[in-house]
Amino acid sequence: MSMKNVLAVALGILSAIGGFVDIGDLVFNTQAGATFGYQLLWVVVIGVAGIVVYSEMCGRVAAVAKRPVFDLVRERTGFSAGLATLVASQVVNLMTCAAEVGGVAICLQLLSGLPYRVLIPLAVVGLAVASWALPFEWIERVFGYLGLCLLVFAVAAIKLHPDWGRVAHGFVPGSHVGGSLSVYLYFVVGLLGAAMTPYEVYFYSSGAVEDGWGLKELGLNKVTAMIGYGLGGFLSFALMIVAGTLFLPLGIDPQFLGTPALGAEEAFGQVGLLLALVGILFAVGGAAIETCFSGAYNTAQFFGWRWGKRERPAAASRFTLAWVIIFALAFLVVMTGYDPVKLTEYSVIFSVVALPLTYLPILLIANDRTYMGSKVNGKLANVLGVLYFILILAIAVAAIPLMLITHGGQG
Amino acid sequence: MSKPVEVDIALGILDHQLVDSDGVNCGKVDDLEVTGLDTASPEVVEILVGGNAWRSRGVLGRLLARFAGDAVHVPWSEVESVSEVVKLKRPASELRLNRGDPRWAQLVGKVPGS
Repeated sequence: MSMKNVLAVALGILSAIGGFVDIGDLVFNTQAGATFGYQLLWVVVIGVAGIVVYSEMCGRVAAVAKRPVFDLVRERTGFSAGLATLVASQVVNLMTCAAEVGGVAICLQLLSGLPYRVLIPLAVVGLAVASWALPFEWIERVFGYLGLCLLVFAVAAIKLHPDWGRVAHGFVPGSHVGGSLSVYLYFVVGLLGAAMTPYEVYFYSSGAVEDGWGLKELGLNKVTAMIGYGLGGFLSFALMIVAGTLFLPLGIDPQFLGTPALGAEEAFGQVGLLLALVGILFAVGGAAIETCFSGAYNTAQFFGWRWGKRERPAAASRFTLAWVIIFALAFLVVMTGYDPVKLTEYSVIFSVVALPLTYLPILLIANDRTYMGSKVNGKLANVLGVLYFILILAIAVAAIPLMLITHGGQG
Repeated sequence: MSKPVEVDIALGILDHQLVDSDGVNCGKVDDLEVTGLDTASPEVVEILVGGNAWRSRGVLGRLLARFAGDAVHVPWSEVESVSEVVKLKRPASELRLNRGDPRWAQLVGKVPGS
Protein backbone atom coordinates (compact mmCIF):
# COMPACT_ATOMS: atom_id res chain seq x y z
CA MET A 1 0.00 0.00 0.00
CA SER A 2 1.24 3.47 -0.80
CA MET A 3 1.60 6.20 1.83
CA LYS A 4 -1.56 7.81 0.49
CA ASN A 5 -3.47 4.59 1.04
CA VAL A 6 -2.08 4.21 4.53
CA LEU A 7 -3.37 7.68 5.31
CA ALA A 8 -6.69 6.88 3.76
CA VAL A 9 -7.14 4.06 6.26
CA ALA A 10 -7.76 6.92 8.70
CA LEU A 11 -11.22 7.11 7.13
CA GLY A 12 -11.76 3.63 8.48
CA ILE A 13 -10.36 4.50 11.88
CA LEU A 14 -12.76 7.40 12.24
CA SER A 15 -15.62 5.18 11.15
CA ALA A 16 -14.40 2.58 13.63
CA ILE A 17 -13.92 4.76 16.69
CA GLY A 18 -16.36 7.56 15.99
CA GLY A 19 -18.79 5.44 14.04
CA PHE A 20 -18.43 2.01 15.52
CA VAL A 21 -17.73 2.85 19.14
CA ASP A 22 -20.24 5.57 19.72
CA ILE A 23 -22.62 6.23 22.54
CA GLY A 24 -24.76 3.24 21.47
CA ASP A 25 -21.86 0.81 21.86
CA LEU A 26 -20.72 2.39 25.11
CA VAL A 27 -24.18 2.09 26.61
CA PHE A 28 -25.12 -1.36 25.30
CA ASN A 29 -21.76 -3.08 25.79
CA THR A 30 -21.39 -1.73 29.31
CA GLN A 31 -24.96 -2.58 30.30
CA ALA A 32 -24.72 -6.02 28.69
CA GLY A 33 -21.48 -6.69 30.59
CA ALA A 34 -22.92 -5.44 33.87
CA THR A 35 -26.03 -7.63 33.42
CA PHE A 36 -24.74 -10.82 31.78
CA GLY A 37 -20.96 -10.67 32.28
CA TYR A 38 -19.10 -12.02 29.25
CA GLN A 39 -21.99 -14.13 27.99
CA LEU A 40 -22.90 -11.78 25.12
CA LEU A 41 -19.44 -11.38 23.57
CA TRP A 42 -20.46 -13.63 20.66
CA VAL A 43 -23.12 -11.12 19.63
CA VAL A 44 -20.45 -8.44 19.11
CA VAL A 45 -18.61 -10.80 16.74
CA ILE A 46 -21.78 -11.30 14.70
CA GLY A 47 -22.52 -7.56 14.69
CA VAL A 48 -19.00 -6.61 13.61
CA ALA A 49 -18.97 -9.18 10.81
CA GLY A 50 -22.34 -7.80 9.65
CA ILE A 51 -21.15 -4.22 9.43
CA VAL A 52 -17.96 -5.37 7.66
CA VAL A 53 -20.01 -7.27 5.05
CA TYR A 54 -22.36 -4.36 4.31
CA SER A 55 -19.74 -1.61 4.50
CA GLU A 56 -17.56 -3.51 2.06
CA MET A 57 -20.54 -3.70 -0.33
CA CYS A 58 -21.27 0.03 0.08
CA GLY A 59 -17.65 0.97 -0.47
CA ARG A 60 -17.48 -1.24 -3.57
CA VAL A 61 -20.68 0.27 -4.99
CA ALA A 62 -19.26 3.75 -4.26
CA ALA A 63 -15.99 2.89 -5.98
CA VAL A 64 -17.45 1.15 -9.05
CA ALA A 65 -20.80 2.86 -9.67
CA LYS A 66 -19.98 6.11 -7.79
CA ARG A 67 -23.38 5.95 -6.12
CA PRO A 68 -23.89 6.68 -2.42
CA VAL A 69 -26.41 4.67 -0.40
CA PHE A 70 -29.37 7.01 -0.51
CA ASP A 71 -29.21 7.32 -4.30
CA LEU A 72 -29.63 3.56 -4.34
CA VAL A 73 -32.44 3.57 -1.80
CA ARG A 74 -34.44 5.92 -3.97
CA GLU A 75 -33.55 4.27 -7.29
CA ARG A 76 -34.45 0.78 -6.09
CA THR A 77 -37.37 1.29 -3.73
CA GLY A 78 -38.95 4.26 -5.55
CA PHE A 79 -40.18 7.61 -4.31
CA SER A 80 -42.67 6.53 -1.64
CA ALA A 81 -40.66 3.82 0.12
CA GLY A 82 -37.54 5.96 -0.33
CA LEU A 83 -39.20 8.93 1.31
CA ALA A 84 -40.48 6.74 4.14
CA THR A 85 -36.94 5.43 4.65
CA LEU A 86 -35.63 9.00 4.57
CA VAL A 87 -38.07 10.14 7.24
CA ALA A 88 -37.38 7.10 9.43
CA SER A 89 -33.63 7.44 9.07
CA GLN A 90 -33.80 11.18 9.80
CA VAL A 91 -35.70 10.56 13.03
CA VAL A 92 -33.17 7.92 14.10
CA ASN A 93 -30.20 10.07 12.99
CA LEU A 94 -31.51 13.04 14.93
CA MET A 95 -32.06 10.98 18.08
CA THR A 96 -28.59 9.48 17.76
CA CYS A 97 -26.98 12.85 17.05
CA ALA A 98 -28.73 14.34 20.09
CA ALA A 99 -27.59 11.44 22.27
CA GLU A 100 -23.99 11.89 21.07
CA VAL A 101 -24.12 15.64 21.68
CA GLY A 102 -25.44 14.93 25.18
CA GLY A 103 -22.56 12.48 25.61
CA VAL A 104 -20.04 15.16 24.62
CA ALA A 105 -21.58 17.53 27.19
CA ILE A 106 -21.44 14.84 29.91
CA CYS A 107 -17.74 14.18 29.19
CA LEU A 108 -17.02 17.90 29.27
CA GLN A 109 -18.89 18.13 32.56
CA LEU A 110 -16.88 15.30 34.10
CA LEU A 111 -13.64 16.85 32.84
CA SER A 112 -14.37 20.45 33.83
CA GLY A 113 -16.90 20.35 36.65
CA LEU A 114 -18.99 23.04 34.91
CA PRO A 115 -22.79 22.58 34.80
CA TYR A 116 -24.21 20.25 32.12
CA ARG A 117 -26.70 22.83 30.81
CA VAL A 118 -23.93 25.33 30.13
CA LEU A 119 -21.83 22.74 28.35
CA ILE A 120 -24.54 21.62 25.88
CA PRO A 121 -24.42 24.84 23.79
CA LEU A 122 -20.64 24.78 24.05
CA ALA A 123 -20.57 21.19 22.74
CA VAL A 124 -22.87 21.98 19.81
CA VAL A 125 -21.00 25.15 18.85
CA GLY A 126 -17.65 23.33 19.13
CA LEU A 127 -18.83 20.48 16.90
CA ALA A 128 -20.45 22.82 14.36
CA VAL A 129 -17.33 25.01 14.15
CA ALA A 130 -15.13 21.93 13.71
CA SER A 131 -17.47 20.67 10.96
CA TRP A 132 -17.47 24.05 9.24
CA ALA A 133 -13.81 24.96 9.48
CA LEU A 134 -11.91 21.69 9.25
CA PRO A 135 -11.54 19.68 6.06
CA PHE A 136 -12.76 16.09 6.45
CA GLU A 137 -9.23 14.74 6.59
CA TRP A 138 -8.65 16.79 9.71
CA ILE A 139 -11.93 15.86 11.32
CA GLU A 140 -10.98 12.23 10.70
CA ARG A 141 -7.58 12.69 12.24
CA VAL A 142 -8.50 14.82 15.25
CA PHE A 143 -11.52 12.75 16.30
CA GLY A 144 -10.19 9.40 15.07
CA TYR A 145 -6.81 9.57 16.77
CA LEU A 146 -7.96 11.15 20.04
CA GLY A 147 -10.74 8.57 20.09
CA LEU A 148 -7.98 5.97 20.21
CA CYS A 149 -7.59 6.90 23.91
CA LEU A 150 -10.41 4.34 24.28
CA LEU A 151 -7.70 1.70 23.96
CA VAL A 152 -7.22 2.30 27.69
CA PHE A 153 -10.24 0.01 28.11
CA ALA A 154 -8.42 -2.81 26.33
CA VAL A 155 -5.48 -2.49 28.72
CA ALA A 156 -7.85 -2.12 31.67
CA ALA A 157 -9.66 -5.31 30.62
CA ILE A 158 -6.37 -7.20 30.90
CA LYS A 159 -5.25 -5.49 34.11
CA LEU A 160 -8.51 -6.29 35.89
CA HIS A 161 -7.67 -10.00 35.51
CA PRO A 162 -10.94 -11.40 34.21
CA ASP A 163 -11.45 -15.16 34.27
CA TRP A 164 -10.20 -15.76 30.71
CA GLY A 165 -11.83 -19.17 30.52
CA ARG A 166 -15.21 -17.59 31.05
CA VAL A 167 -14.36 -14.79 28.62
CA ALA A 168 -13.56 -17.41 25.97
CA HIS A 169 -16.80 -19.18 26.79
CA GLY A 170 -18.65 -15.90 26.07
CA PHE A 171 -17.67 -16.15 22.41
CA VAL A 172 -19.75 -19.31 22.08
CA PRO A 173 -23.48 -18.67 21.77
CA GLY A 174 -25.49 -20.73 24.20
CA SER A 175 -27.86 -20.75 27.09
CA HIS A 176 -27.42 -17.89 29.54
CA VAL A 177 -27.11 -17.73 33.29
CA GLY A 178 -28.88 -15.03 35.29
CA GLY A 179 -31.51 -12.57 34.07
CA SER A 180 -34.60 -13.45 32.07
CA LEU A 181 -34.63 -14.70 28.49
CA SER A 182 -36.42 -11.59 27.24
CA VAL A 183 -33.78 -9.28 28.76
CA TYR A 184 -31.06 -11.46 27.25
CA LEU A 185 -32.71 -11.21 23.83
CA TYR A 186 -33.20 -7.46 24.26
CA PHE A 187 -29.44 -7.11 24.69
CA VAL A 188 -28.79 -9.37 21.69
CA VAL A 189 -30.94 -7.04 19.56
CA GLY A 190 -29.43 -3.90 21.12
CA LEU A 191 -25.83 -5.05 20.63
CA LEU A 192 -26.51 -6.00 17.00
CA GLY A 193 -28.27 -2.67 16.44
CA ALA A 194 -25.44 -0.73 18.06
CA ALA A 195 -22.90 -2.55 15.88
CA MET A 196 -24.81 -2.18 12.61
CA THR A 197 -26.33 1.32 12.96
CA PRO A 198 -27.46 2.58 9.56
CA TYR A 199 -25.67 5.93 9.75
CA GLU A 200 -22.34 4.13 9.60
CA VAL A 201 -23.03 2.87 6.07
CA TYR A 202 -24.51 6.22 4.96
CA PHE A 203 -21.42 8.04 6.13
CA TYR A 204 -18.95 5.45 4.89
CA SER A 205 -20.40 5.33 1.38
CA SER A 206 -20.87 9.09 1.01
CA GLY A 207 -17.31 9.63 2.26
CA ALA A 208 -16.03 7.17 -0.33
CA VAL A 209 -17.92 8.94 -3.14
CA GLU A 210 -16.61 12.30 -1.90
CA ASP A 211 -13.08 10.97 -1.82
CA GLY A 212 -13.54 9.97 -5.47
CA TRP A 213 -12.92 6.26 -4.93
CA GLY A 214 -12.38 4.24 -8.09
CA LEU A 215 -11.38 0.68 -8.99
CA LYS A 216 -7.94 1.33 -7.45
CA GLU A 217 -9.55 1.71 -4.03
CA LEU A 218 -11.28 -1.69 -4.01
CA GLY A 219 -8.44 -3.24 -2.02
CA LEU A 220 -8.32 -0.27 0.31
CA ASN A 221 -12.07 -0.64 0.80
CA LYS A 222 -11.72 -4.25 1.99
CA VAL A 223 -8.85 -3.34 4.34
CA THR A 224 -10.64 -0.27 5.71
CA ALA A 225 -13.86 -2.16 6.39
CA MET A 226 -12.08 -5.04 8.10
CA ILE A 227 -9.43 -3.17 10.11
CA GLY A 228 -11.65 -0.21 10.94
CA TYR A 229 -14.65 -2.14 12.17
CA GLY A 230 -12.46 -4.93 13.54
CA LEU A 231 -10.78 -2.39 15.81
CA GLY A 232 -14.18 -1.09 16.80
CA GLY A 233 -15.29 -4.60 17.73
CA PHE A 234 -12.12 -5.12 19.76
CA LEU A 235 -12.99 -2.05 21.83
CA SER A 236 -16.53 -3.35 22.30
CA PHE A 237 -15.12 -6.59 23.74
CA ALA A 238 -12.99 -4.52 26.10
CA LEU A 239 -15.95 -2.46 27.32
CA MET A 240 -18.03 -5.55 27.97
CA ILE A 241 -15.20 -7.40 29.72
CA VAL A 242 -14.46 -4.41 31.97
CA ALA A 243 -18.14 -4.10 32.88
CA GLY A 244 -18.46 -7.86 33.42
CA THR A 245 -15.39 -7.99 35.65
CA LEU A 246 -16.08 -4.87 37.69
CA PHE A 247 -19.74 -3.90 37.65
CA LEU A 248 -21.50 -7.29 37.61
CA PRO A 249 -20.04 -8.57 40.92
CA LEU A 250 -20.81 -5.25 42.60
CA GLY A 251 -24.33 -5.13 41.18
CA ILE A 252 -23.73 -1.72 39.56
CA ASP A 253 -26.32 -0.80 36.94
CA PRO A 254 -24.51 1.60 34.61
CA GLN A 255 -27.28 4.11 33.92
CA PHE A 256 -24.78 6.96 33.56
CA LEU A 257 -22.44 7.56 30.62
CA GLY A 258 -19.52 8.22 32.96
CA THR A 259 -19.77 4.74 34.50
CA PRO A 260 -17.56 2.88 31.98
CA ALA A 261 -14.77 5.39 32.65
CA LEU A 262 -14.70 4.16 36.27
CA GLY A 263 -13.44 0.83 34.93
CA ALA A 264 -10.36 2.56 33.54
CA GLU A 265 -9.95 4.46 36.80
CA GLU A 266 -10.07 1.24 38.80
CA ALA A 267 -7.21 -0.12 36.68
CA PHE A 268 -5.04 2.99 36.25
CA GLY A 269 -6.23 5.66 38.68
CA GLN A 270 -6.60 9.29 37.60
CA VAL A 271 -4.66 8.83 34.34
CA GLY A 272 -6.94 5.98 33.35
CA LEU A 273 -10.01 8.04 34.10
CA LEU A 274 -8.68 10.97 32.08
CA LEU A 275 -7.76 8.81 29.07
CA ALA A 276 -11.17 7.12 29.16
CA LEU A 277 -13.04 10.42 29.31
CA VAL A 278 -10.98 11.97 26.50
CA GLY A 279 -11.49 8.81 24.42
CA ILE A 280 -15.24 8.83 25.00
CA LEU A 281 -15.40 12.59 24.33
CA PHE A 282 -13.80 12.31 20.90
CA ALA A 283 -15.42 9.02 19.90
CA VAL A 284 -18.83 10.41 20.74
CA GLY A 285 -18.00 13.83 19.25
CA GLY A 286 -16.87 12.21 15.98
CA ALA A 287 -20.08 10.19 15.93
CA ALA A 288 -22.13 13.36 16.48
CA ILE A 289 -20.56 14.84 13.34
CA GLU A 290 -21.07 11.60 11.41
CA THR A 291 -24.74 11.31 12.32
CA CYS A 292 -25.33 14.95 11.52
CA PHE A 293 -23.67 14.69 8.12
CA SER A 294 -25.43 11.40 7.39
CA GLY A 295 -28.72 13.23 7.78
CA ALA A 296 -27.62 15.93 5.36
CA TYR A 297 -26.19 13.38 2.88
CA ASN A 298 -29.42 11.39 2.89
CA THR A 299 -31.66 14.40 2.32
CA ALA A 300 -29.45 15.79 -0.46
CA GLN A 301 -29.17 12.40 -2.13
CA PHE A 302 -32.90 11.75 -1.96
CA PHE A 303 -33.73 15.08 -3.64
CA GLY A 304 -30.74 15.04 -5.97
CA TRP A 305 -29.11 18.20 -4.61
CA ARG A 306 -25.51 19.19 -4.89
CA TRP A 307 -23.82 17.75 -1.78
CA GLY A 308 -20.50 17.18 -0.11
CA LYS A 309 -18.10 18.55 2.42
CA ARG A 310 -15.71 19.30 -0.43
CA GLU A 311 -18.18 21.68 -2.07
CA ARG A 312 -18.05 25.32 -1.07
CA PRO A 313 -20.69 25.66 1.68
CA ALA A 314 -22.47 28.43 -0.23
CA ALA A 315 -22.44 26.52 -3.54
CA ALA A 316 -24.15 23.52 -1.92
CA SER A 317 -26.20 25.78 0.33
CA ARG A 318 -29.12 23.39 0.84
CA PHE A 319 -26.76 20.62 1.95
CA THR A 320 -24.98 23.05 4.27
CA LEU A 321 -28.25 24.25 5.78
CA ALA A 322 -29.36 20.63 6.23
CA TRP A 323 -26.47 19.75 8.54
CA VAL A 324 -26.62 23.06 10.39
CA ILE A 325 -30.35 22.50 11.04
CA ILE A 326 -29.73 18.94 12.26
CA PHE A 327 -27.18 20.23 14.79
CA ALA A 328 -29.66 22.91 15.87
CA LEU A 329 -32.46 20.34 16.32
CA ALA A 330 -30.12 18.01 18.22
CA PHE A 331 -29.29 20.94 20.48
CA LEU A 332 -32.99 21.52 21.22
CA VAL A 333 -33.54 17.82 21.97
CA VAL A 334 -30.61 17.70 24.42
CA MET A 335 -31.67 20.96 26.07
CA THR A 336 -34.97 19.36 27.09
CA GLY A 337 -32.81 17.63 29.69
CA TYR A 338 -33.84 14.14 28.55
CA ASP A 339 -31.25 11.58 29.69
CA PRO A 340 -28.80 10.88 26.81
CA VAL A 341 -28.42 7.24 27.92
CA LYS A 342 -32.19 6.66 27.64
CA LEU A 343 -32.19 8.52 24.32
CA THR A 344 -29.40 6.21 23.14
CA GLU A 345 -31.39 3.10 24.03
CA TYR A 346 -34.38 4.33 22.04
CA SER A 347 -32.27 5.46 19.09
CA VAL A 348 -30.50 2.08 18.82
CA ILE A 349 -33.74 0.11 19.06
CA PHE A 350 -35.51 2.33 16.49
CA SER A 351 -32.51 2.19 14.18
CA VAL A 352 -32.89 -1.60 14.11
CA VAL A 353 -36.38 -1.12 12.68
CA ALA A 354 -34.96 1.12 9.91
CA LEU A 355 -32.17 -1.33 9.03
CA PRO A 356 -33.89 -3.54 6.41
CA LEU A 357 -34.85 -0.63 4.15
CA THR A 358 -31.26 0.62 4.26
CA TYR A 359 -29.54 -2.71 3.66
CA LEU A 360 -31.84 -4.24 1.01
CA PRO A 361 -31.07 -1.69 -1.77
CA ILE A 362 -27.35 -2.12 -1.06
CA LEU A 363 -27.63 -5.88 -1.46
CA LEU A 364 -29.65 -5.51 -4.69
CA ILE A 365 -27.31 -2.98 -6.32
CA ALA A 366 -24.19 -4.91 -5.30
CA ASN A 367 -25.65 -7.78 -7.37
CA ASP A 368 -26.69 -5.66 -10.36
CA ARG A 369 -24.35 -6.00 -13.34
CA THR A 370 -25.64 -2.84 -15.01
CA TYR A 371 -24.13 -0.92 -12.09
CA MET A 372 -21.28 -3.16 -11.03
CA GLY A 373 -20.09 -4.97 -14.17
CA SER A 374 -17.74 -7.74 -13.08
CA LYS A 375 -17.46 -6.33 -9.56
CA VAL A 376 -20.80 -7.74 -8.43
CA ASN A 377 -20.95 -9.65 -5.15
CA GLY A 378 -19.02 -12.90 -5.06
CA LYS A 379 -20.49 -16.04 -3.49
CA LEU A 380 -19.17 -15.23 -0.01
CA ALA A 381 -20.53 -11.66 -0.01
CA ASN A 382 -23.91 -12.94 -1.20
CA VAL A 383 -24.24 -15.81 1.25
CA LEU A 384 -23.29 -13.51 4.13
CA GLY A 385 -25.34 -10.64 2.73
CA VAL A 386 -28.50 -12.76 2.53
CA LEU A 387 -27.95 -14.39 5.94
CA TYR A 388 -27.47 -10.98 7.53
CA PHE A 389 -30.50 -9.61 5.76
CA ILE A 390 -32.61 -12.40 7.25
CA LEU A 391 -31.10 -11.68 10.67
CA ILE A 392 -31.82 -7.96 10.28
CA LEU A 393 -35.45 -8.68 9.37
CA ALA A 394 -35.81 -10.88 12.43
CA ILE A 395 -34.36 -8.33 14.85
CA ALA A 396 -36.32 -5.49 13.20
CA VAL A 397 -39.54 -7.36 14.00
CA ALA A 398 -38.42 -8.28 17.53
CA ALA A 399 -36.86 -4.95 18.56
CA ILE A 400 -39.82 -2.88 19.73
CA PRO A 401 -41.78 -5.74 21.38
CA LEU A 402 -38.64 -6.71 23.32
CA MET A 403 -38.06 -3.12 24.39
CA LEU A 404 -41.64 -2.89 25.68
CA ILE A 405 -41.65 -6.31 27.40
CA THR A 406 -38.36 -5.68 29.20
CA HIS A 407 -38.95 -1.97 29.90
CA GLY A 408 -35.75 -1.19 28.04
CA GLY A 409 -33.70 -4.05 29.50
CA GLN A 410 -34.78 -3.46 33.08
CA GLY A 411 -36.59 -6.80 33.19
CA MET B 1 -27.18 9.01 -28.08
CA SER B 2 -24.76 7.05 -30.21
CA LYS B 3 -25.99 3.48 -30.14
CA PRO B 4 -29.40 2.25 -29.09
CA VAL B 5 -29.41 0.89 -25.54
CA GLU B 6 -32.31 -0.88 -23.94
CA VAL B 7 -33.34 0.85 -20.72
CA ASP B 8 -36.11 -0.06 -18.33
CA ILE B 9 -37.80 3.31 -17.80
CA ALA B 10 -39.07 2.52 -14.32
CA LEU B 11 -35.84 0.98 -13.07
CA GLY B 12 -33.23 2.73 -15.19
CA ILE B 13 -34.48 6.33 -15.49
CA LEU B 14 -37.19 7.17 -12.96
CA ASP B 15 -35.79 8.33 -9.60
CA HIS B 16 -32.27 8.58 -11.01
CA GLN B 17 -29.84 11.44 -10.47
CA LEU B 18 -29.81 14.31 -12.99
CA VAL B 19 -26.36 15.72 -13.71
CA ASP B 20 -25.81 18.84 -15.81
CA SER B 21 -23.15 19.48 -18.45
CA ASP B 22 -20.76 20.74 -15.72
CA GLY B 23 -21.11 17.52 -13.77
CA VAL B 24 -23.21 19.14 -11.04
CA ASN B 25 -26.14 17.29 -9.45
CA CYS B 26 -29.39 19.04 -10.36
CA GLY B 27 -32.31 17.03 -9.01
CA LYS B 28 -33.89 13.66 -9.65
CA VAL B 29 -36.07 12.30 -12.41
CA ASP B 30 -39.21 12.72 -10.30
CA ASP B 31 -41.65 11.88 -13.08
CA LEU B 32 -41.74 11.31 -16.82
CA GLU B 33 -44.16 12.61 -19.44
CA VAL B 34 -44.83 9.90 -21.99
CA THR B 35 -46.93 10.36 -25.13
CA GLY B 36 -48.31 7.98 -27.68
CA LEU B 37 -49.05 5.18 -25.24
CA ASP B 38 -51.91 4.13 -27.54
CA THR B 39 -49.64 4.00 -30.55
CA ALA B 40 -46.97 1.57 -31.63
CA SER B 41 -44.11 3.86 -30.58
CA PRO B 42 -44.67 5.62 -27.25
CA GLU B 43 -42.15 8.32 -26.54
CA VAL B 44 -40.73 10.01 -23.46
CA VAL B 45 -41.11 13.73 -24.09
CA GLU B 46 -40.27 15.36 -20.76
CA ILE B 47 -38.58 14.86 -17.42
CA LEU B 48 -40.39 16.46 -14.49
CA VAL B 49 -38.27 17.64 -11.60
CA GLY B 50 -39.40 18.62 -8.13
CA GLY B 51 -42.51 20.38 -6.82
CA ASN B 52 -45.83 19.03 -8.01
CA ALA B 53 -44.10 16.27 -9.97
CA TRP B 54 -44.25 14.43 -6.63
CA ARG B 55 -48.06 14.46 -6.72
CA SER B 56 -48.17 11.26 -8.71
CA ARG B 57 -45.74 9.48 -6.35
CA GLY B 58 -47.93 8.04 -3.63
CA VAL B 59 -49.46 9.45 -0.47
CA LEU B 60 -46.23 10.90 0.93
CA GLY B 61 -45.43 12.47 -2.42
CA ARG B 62 -48.84 14.14 -2.60
CA LEU B 63 -48.32 15.50 0.89
CA LEU B 64 -44.87 16.84 0.06
CA ALA B 65 -46.07 18.36 -3.24
CA ARG B 66 -48.51 20.58 -1.33
CA PHE B 67 -45.60 22.46 0.19
CA ALA B 68 -43.62 22.69 -3.03
CA GLY B 69 -43.98 24.83 -6.14
CA ASP B 70 -44.33 23.87 -9.77
CA ALA B 71 -42.26 21.13 -11.31
CA VAL B 72 -39.52 22.04 -13.76
CA HIS B 73 -40.07 20.49 -17.19
CA VAL B 74 -36.96 19.35 -19.02
CA PRO B 75 -37.52 18.27 -22.65
CA TRP B 76 -36.08 14.83 -23.41
CA SER B 77 -34.09 16.45 -26.24
CA GLU B 78 -31.89 18.00 -23.52
CA VAL B 79 -30.70 14.56 -22.39
CA GLU B 80 -27.13 13.77 -23.37
CA SER B 81 -26.92 10.18 -22.09
CA VAL B 82 -28.43 7.70 -19.67
CA SER B 83 -26.17 5.59 -17.49
CA GLU B 84 -26.39 5.28 -13.67
CA VAL B 85 -27.20 8.99 -13.93
CA VAL B 86 -29.15 11.00 -16.49
CA LYS B 87 -26.70 13.44 -18.01
CA LEU B 88 -28.00 16.70 -19.49
CA LYS B 89 -26.62 18.72 -22.39
CA ARG B 90 -26.61 22.13 -20.71
CA PRO B 91 -25.78 23.73 -17.35
CA ALA B 92 -28.53 23.45 -14.73
CA SER B 93 -29.23 27.20 -14.63
CA GLU B 94 -30.13 27.28 -18.34
CA LEU B 95 -32.73 24.58 -17.72
CA ARG B 96 -34.11 26.34 -14.60
CA LEU B 97 -32.83 23.51 -12.41
CA ASN B 98 -31.03 23.83 -9.05
CA ARG B 99 -32.60 27.15 -8.19
CA GLY B 100 -32.67 26.21 -4.51
CA ASP B 101 -28.95 26.55 -3.92
CA PRO B 102 -28.57 30.15 -5.20
CA ARG B 103 -31.67 31.08 -3.18
CA TRP B 104 -30.03 30.02 0.11
CA ALA B 105 -26.49 30.87 -0.90
CA GLN B 106 -26.81 34.45 0.29
CA LEU B 107 -27.72 33.32 3.78
CA VAL B 108 -24.99 30.68 3.97
CA GLY B 109 -22.53 33.07 2.31
CA LYS B 110 -22.70 35.42 5.29
CA VAL B 111 -20.65 32.99 7.37
CA PRO B 112 -16.89 33.46 7.06
CA GLY B 113 -15.17 30.73 5.08
CA SER B 114 -18.14 29.87 2.91
